[in-house]
Amino acid sequence: MRPGDPAAQKPLYRRLRLVRMASQLGFLLLFLFLFVNTDYSGSDTIQYAVNLLFRIDPLLAITAMLAVRAVIALMLPALLLVGLSLLLGRFFCGWVCPLGSLVDGVQPAMKQGRRRQTTLFPQLAATLLIFVLVSALLGLPLAGYVDPFSILVRGLAQAVYPASHNLAESFFTMTYLHAPAWVNQITEPVYGFLKETVLPFERKYFSLSLLSLAILAAVFLAEAVQRRFFCRNICPLGALLGWFARLGPTGLRGGDDDCGACRLCSRICRMGAIDERRRIDPQRCSLCIDCLVRCPRQVISFRSFLPGSRGVGVSLSRRRLVGTIALGCVIPPILGVRRLTAAPNPLLIRPPGALTEAEFLQRCVRCAECIQVCIGNGLQPVLLEAGIEGIFSPHLVARTGYCEFNCTLCGQICPTGAIKELTRAEKHRTKIGNAWFDKDRCLPYAKGIPCIVCEEHCPTPDKAIKFRTVVMVDDLTGQQQEIRRPFIVDELCIGCGICETKCPLPGRAAVFVTSDGEMRNPDNLLPEKGETDQWGY
Amino acid sequence: MERRTFLRQLLLYSLGLSLSAPRFGVAATGAETTGAAELSLVSGADYSAVVRRALQLLGGMERFVRPGASVVVKPNIAWDRTPEYGATTHPLVVKTLVELALQAGAGEVRIFDHTCNEKRRCYVNSGIADIVGAMAERRVKLDYIDSRKFVEVKITGGRSLDSWEIYRDALTADCYINVPVAKHHGLSGLTLGLKNVMGVVGGNRGRLHHGLAQKLADLATVVRPTLTVIDATRLLLRNGPQGGRLEDVRQVDTVIASADPVAADAVATTLFGLEPERIETTVAAFQMGLGQMDPSRIHISEQRL
Repeated sequence: MRPGDPAAQKPLYRRLRLVRMASQLGFLLLFLFLFVNTDYSGSDTIQYAVNLLFRIDPLLAITAMLAVRAVIALMLPALLLVGLSLLLGRFFCGWVCPLGSLVDGVQPAMKQGRRRQTTLFPQLAATLLIFVLVSALLGLPLAGYVDPFSILVRGLAQAVYPASHNLAESFFTMTYLHAPAWVNQITEPVYGFLKETVLPFERKYFSLSLLSLAILAAVFLAEAVQRRFFCRNICPLGALLGWFARLGPTGLRGGDDDCGACRLCSRICRMGAIDERRRIDPQRCSLCIDCLVRCPRQVISFRSFLPGSRGVGVSLSRRRLVGTIALGCVIPPILGVRRLTAAPNPLLIRPPGALTEAEFLQRCVRCAECIQVCIGNGLQPVLLEAGIEGIFSPHLVARTGYCEFNCTLCGQICPTGAIKELTRAEKHRTKIGNAWFDKDRCLPYAKGIPCIVCEEHCPTPDKAIKFRTVVMVDDLTGQQQEIRRPFIVDELCIGCGICETKCPLPGRAAVFVTSDGEMRNPDNLLPEKGETDQWGY
Repeated sequence: MERRTFLRQLLLYSLGLSLSAPRFGVAATGAETTGAAELSLVSGADYSAVVRRALQLLGGMERFVRPGASVVVKPNIAWDRTPEYGATTHPLVVKTLVELALQAGAGEVRIFDHTCNEKRRCYVNSGIADIVGAMAERRVKLDYIDSRKFVEVKITGGRSLDSWEIYRDALTADCYINVPVAKHHGLSGLTLGLKNVMGVVGGNRGRLHHGLAQKLADLATVVRPTLTVIDATRLLLRNGPQGGRLEDVRQVDTVIASADPVAADAVATTLFGLEPERIETTVAAFQMGLGQMDPSRIHISEQRL
């Protein structure tokens, strides 16, 4: 392409920018479509590749593979993005990334004048990336906390989306109960349509919904400081794609000394990729085409480079690099000496099919897909039960929701195989924990009131909750009463937690599950019937 | 209008609206003298024919469904089980009843259940979603329970309950057809027609299980099926109400129909080889005059196809 011919190039660039915008919109809609379809759809298997975003993410792929020191086949599609970035540069950030498109979308709401042009922390993203890679190599995967997709999906799945249901339900309940019939003739079909299409099927409740939302909201609020604040200063995926971009053969040629005092390109660049001398850094440029359209001289153009010939680009100082690597090396050994490592929290019940705890945490990218898809609303993000590095990983909190007996969605949806995909038959045999009775609260024990709700809901075909009939004698009246007291058969209980969810007591349930007996951890085995002598019963 | 005034008025109006939330009153039927009951008991391999004959013996669906009537067909599809496990009402029984209601001129037929397992899984795996989908009939609607439709109902004749949340559609239908499946239950012994009311009540349903028999009888004073059709094509004998093992299921290919909910339960109990008196719920409902359980006063038309 010939520079300096405004009349010839401008329409072409304008069209290209429109294509970029269309691409952003298209991929955003695709993402939202997949997000909304991260749900049971009437079939036991998930219909779409709803976890696609997490499987093309090279940051998550590299860190998970480094952490487990194996190739994870599920994440190989990430190679596609690696290849494209080598070829085209950081186009993903400007053309595809749904978080990037969303923050671009809030631009009209931001005051343009006050914001800084130069990138605030130019080395932070690369520092984070190295830190994440080093700690992953040492078995501590942190990518999920800074990965843009994890942040986006967590915030949407655990806060925004359920809140939309809450809002719609409240509004349409109000109209349903109080509005006149003619209003309902309009609102009810609207509600029905929304429920059929975009709203979540049921209201769900999540721990950490505020925290998930706060992190996502921070990404948007930071836009007030500068454009694409997260993408420029923090996003380690962007930094990684930038590395590939730098190796690649294409990029943009910037302005030159003939531009005089004009630095429009540098001022309008959303990624801060253009410096004072109008050089365009391929590590930062997201190919948004804005500068190509706006340049008064039309001197900016596409060009190819010899591989390895790039002069520009921000790299870490040696001191910073060494320091980051050292920090990445120090933290994992310290985490290994916490008491938690010796005695895991018994309330940490992992989803069925979860790998052993160490490997599970290494693979889990905190994407929240399993938590979102859990139809029993049983899976919740962990706060500190799995240690500080386990935050946002999934566990079963059975008082609010349970693991549906015939459902295998979490294993199907896990993009990294941290939760193995189980067949229905395998799932039925997978013990994730064990139920226990609190006999001070359980009605037949504590009050002599007959109650069988837990047994009724127990899903194993040979019920894991059975009864012993005992005769209770009231010492005062001498009255006798027969009562059936429930007990757990450990060999049959799989820890699904429906007993705890459905226990009719208010507050704490009289039957509850713990991770004891979970199959993935041999240290957690319960005594078997044949072993009773050995255990001294 | 000033913003302040507007906000104040808005608040006042919303307060007024929330205080005027409707309360539902249902004419409760207290103890009434119970006359003789008509009941049909039909067996055969063709469930569609069996249901049709059972209704024919009672005088036809036209006796229960007037042209234009709103009809509710309430199966027991509370569990995520497929039909062969006998934990849910057989879809063919439901389908035939819906067809009969349509033939009798029903204006609309609604099908729903307040499930215990996840709603969508229950509707799909019970086979009900499929049969409704295949009918492709505008008048037939398979509804998921809508929490807004639970209304607090006073149970004036109740001995154990004063009031409970009940699903509005079950109360307002012109014709309410109760279609339970006959199966074992850990507390009530068996779950039949009277226990099937669980699928149209809200609130903390677990709490109903304390003194269950009387509470079910109390609920039966306000939720009054026009017709009870008990699906006994399969009897779940053990590990009810959810089952899950074919060896716990006995196939007897039978359907019982009656306008008398107590009589239907009493006769269904005998299919399990039990005396009707063994089921406390049946006894409690009989004592409240809600139906007949004296075998000498139940007229059974029995047929094997």
